[in-house]
Amino acid sequence: MRVSEGVPRGRFAELYHPEMFSEGEEVIVFTRDEFNRTYSSLGEQIAHINRTYLRLDRDEDWKLIGYWPRILERVHILDLNMDQIYKNQPLQCYLDAYLYPTIHGSDEPAAVSEKEGISISKVSGFDLL
Amino acid sequence: MRYSYGIMDQGKILLYHPQLFLKEDDILILPSEEFQQWHGDLKELIDGLYQINSQSMNKTVEELNLVAGVLGSIVEELEQLFNTVKVSNSHYQYISTMDEDIKKRRENFYSNDMKRCDLRIPVKPEITPALKNLNMMELLEYANQKLSIHRKDFGKFQRKKKE
Repeated sequence: MRVSEGVPRGRFAELYHPEMFSEGEEVIVFTRDEFNRTYSSLGEQIAHINRTYLRLDRDEDWKLIGYWPRILERVHILDLNMDQIYKNQPLQCYLDAYLYPTIHGSDEPAAVSEKEGISISKVSGFDLL
Repeated sequence: MRYSYGIMDQGKILLYHPQLFLKEDDILILPSEEFQQWHGDLKELIDGLYQINSQSMNKTVEELNLVAGVLGSIVEELEQLFNTVKVSNSHYQYISTMDEDIKKRRENFYSNDMKRCDLRIPVKPEITPALKNLNMMELLEYANQKLSIHRKDFGKFQRKKKE
């Protein structure tokens, strides 16, 4: 499928590869981060089912009763992910994404104690924790 | 997921809902018709997985092999998304009309049995002095029975010895 990245500029969006699309063609626009999450979540669920499939011994049929609901769980997540592409709602796979720490320590001295006159230098957010 | 349709206009895209995107967001632009096609294809395969599940209650390895096969085609579809050379077939589009009941998880028999077991467990009675007494009497009765049996046996043993 023809895909192009771009950046939004007000009402318009500028394309990195405008030659991909013809004039007057209807397109659908996603944010890259969200699409990445959905796409990688799909891949992850499939990999999980595959791992279960490979791990199962072919001679031990009776174990399948236990594995089957687990496989279906993953299929359900696959289905949810596919449904949520066309919904303006938050995704379940947001929880799977790695969250970067948003608190950054500052280099400036944080506080000066009045009695001793010693500055407590470089108290970063992580040191306090 | 935030999405908006748009239309190509003089080398740029006119968004229908530009308020959804922030200035610093990177966006992905795909042709809407082909994307719907792709979405429908994937939905068809996932519905296939549900159909395999609903075929019978007893699962065999054959069904697991079927699931693995369908998963293979899903992976293929996923890879096709970023293949710019491939042109999708627009003559056929799948729209999922599957009943939601098929997708629901059926209750496991094991859990049903466990529920029945749980219901049969009597509520723990409150311990009163009378109940304590009763319990003690039961214990005594039991001990008495055991003792009498033992005495009888001991008597027989002694009689045999005398003979």
